[in-house]
Amino acid sequence: MEANEAKDFTELTCTNLMIRLKILLNKVSQGDVVTFYATREQVDNTCSPFSRQGYQVSWTQTAENRYLVRIGR
Amino acid sequence: MFSSTFLFCDHLTGERASWLAAVIGAAVGRCPAGNPGRVNIFLTADALFSLVDARARPAWAALSGLPSVQVIADADELRLQGLSLPGSTWTPGARVTGTGDRGSFWGELVSTLEREWGGTKTAAFLLCSSPYMSRVPVYMLRFLAQAVEAGLHPELYCYLDGVHTLHDGQRPSEFENIGRGVSALAGTAVHSCRDPWFAACSRCATARGYYQMNPGTGFCEPASCIQDIAIRNLKEILARFPDRHPVASHASGESVPTENEKEGAPHLVVFITNPPYGTEWTFGGISLAIAAAAEGIPTRVVFIEDGVYALYGTHEVPENDRIFNIQEMIEATTDIDGLSYFVHAPSLDDRGIDRKGGFPAARGSRTRN
Repeated sequence: MEANEAKDFTELTCTNLMIRLKILLNKVSQGDVVTFYATREQVDNTCSPFSRQGYQVSWTQTAENRYLVRIGR
Repeated sequence: MFSSTFLFCDHLTGERASWLAAVIGAAVGRCPAGNPGRVNIFLTADALFSLVDARARPAWAALSGLPSVQVIADADELRLQGLSLPGSTWTPGARVTGTGDRGSFWGELVSTLEREWGGTKTAAFLLCSSPYMSRVPVYMLRFLAQAVEAGLHPELYCYLDGVHTLHDGQRPSEFENIGRGVSALAGTAVHSCRDPWFAACSRCATARGYYQMNPGTGFCEPASCIQDIAIRNLKEILARFPDRHPVASHASGESVPTENEKEGAPHLVVFITNPPYGTEWTFGGISLAIAAAAEGIPTRVVFIEDGVYALYGTHEVPENDRIFNIQEMIEATTDIDGLSYFVHAPSLDDRGIDRKGGFPAARGSRTRN
C-alpha cells in the first residue's frame, strides 16, 4: 500500500534525502511503501543503499534525470 | 598527551567559559604528571568581553591557574573594544599579542596550529557567517592571509550564511570588501605557488539563490558569484576534513594527540548551542554531523547551552511547514555508524529541565555531566 502521495525530493541533498527517508520509513507499517521523485544521483547514492538495510527499493524513469522511487518494508 | 588550540570570535558567555574550563581542566587532569599537554585559547572580537565579565571571570581564573593553559588576547581588538589595558579586573595569566602589528595575533594562531599539526601543508577556515552583518569573514581573511604567508595552502569552506561571501559585486562603503578580499587572497596564494581551495556548500548556496537551475541544460549553475569560490556539495567539502590539517572557525577548537597516542582519522565534535528552530544553526549542525559520519568521520553531537531545547518536549511540525522536525531527525539517525548524540546535563539543570524521564523524543541521546 502506498503510504504517501509521491513527493518531489529532487531538490534535496543526498544527506537530507537520507534523513527524510529514514524519518518516513520509521513511520510506515510492514507492507507499506514510500514513493517519491528523485534524481539519478539520489537513486544511486541514497535510495539504492536502503536495499542493504532490508528494504525493497525500485524505481522507474519518468523524465530526463527524474525517477519515481518506491521503498517498502 | 595532547595539544589543543581554541579560537573564539563570538560572544563567550559565562556558561560557555564554565564548561570550557571544566572540559580543559578534566583533560589536563588526565595527563600524566609532568606531561600536562598544551592548551592555547585565542580570543578576539566579542569573545574578549568574556575576560572582564564577572560571570566568566572565575572560569578564566581557573583556566589561567593551569600551567599548561595559555590565554592569548588580540591587542587590536582589545583597543577597539576599549579593553586595552590589563587592570584589576583582568584575567590573570592572559597574554596580549598583536600590539602595533595587525597580523601578529593571527600569525601566532597560524604558527601555533602549524606547530601543533606538525608537517601540515594546509590551513582551513569554516565560515558560517555572512559578510557585513558579522565581522567573522574579516577574521577569516586575516587567518587565511597569515596561512599563505606561512607557506600553507589556504582552504575556505562556506556553510550556512557563510555562502553570502560568494556574492559578486559587493561594494560596502564602510567595511572591508570581503568578496574582493577572497579574490585577492586567492591571487596571492597562486602567486606564492600555493593552491587555494575555496568552496561553498551547494545546499546553502541553492537556498540563497547562488546556484540556479539552467532549464536549457538541466543542471545548476552559479548565479551572481565571484569566481574564486566553487560551489560544491557538502560531501566534497567534508572529504577535506580527514586530511591532517587544522580547520578554524568563529568558535572552534582542535585537539591533536602527540607522542604515544595512536593516530587515527580525526574525530569531529559538533556543539549544538542554539534553540532548535529560530535559526539554521541546529539543522545545519546536525546535518553536517550526519553527512560527516556518512563520510566515515567519527562524529559526536553535543547538545549544550540553549541547544538542549532541541530535546525538550515533543516537537510537532505543522502540516504546511517544510521545516525538518529536529527530534525526528535525531531519532532516525541514531543507527548511523560513527555518529553519537550527547546532552550536557548541567545545561539541562541550569534551565530547570527535568532529566529523570530521559528524552523519549530523542531516544538515542546520552546524558553526560
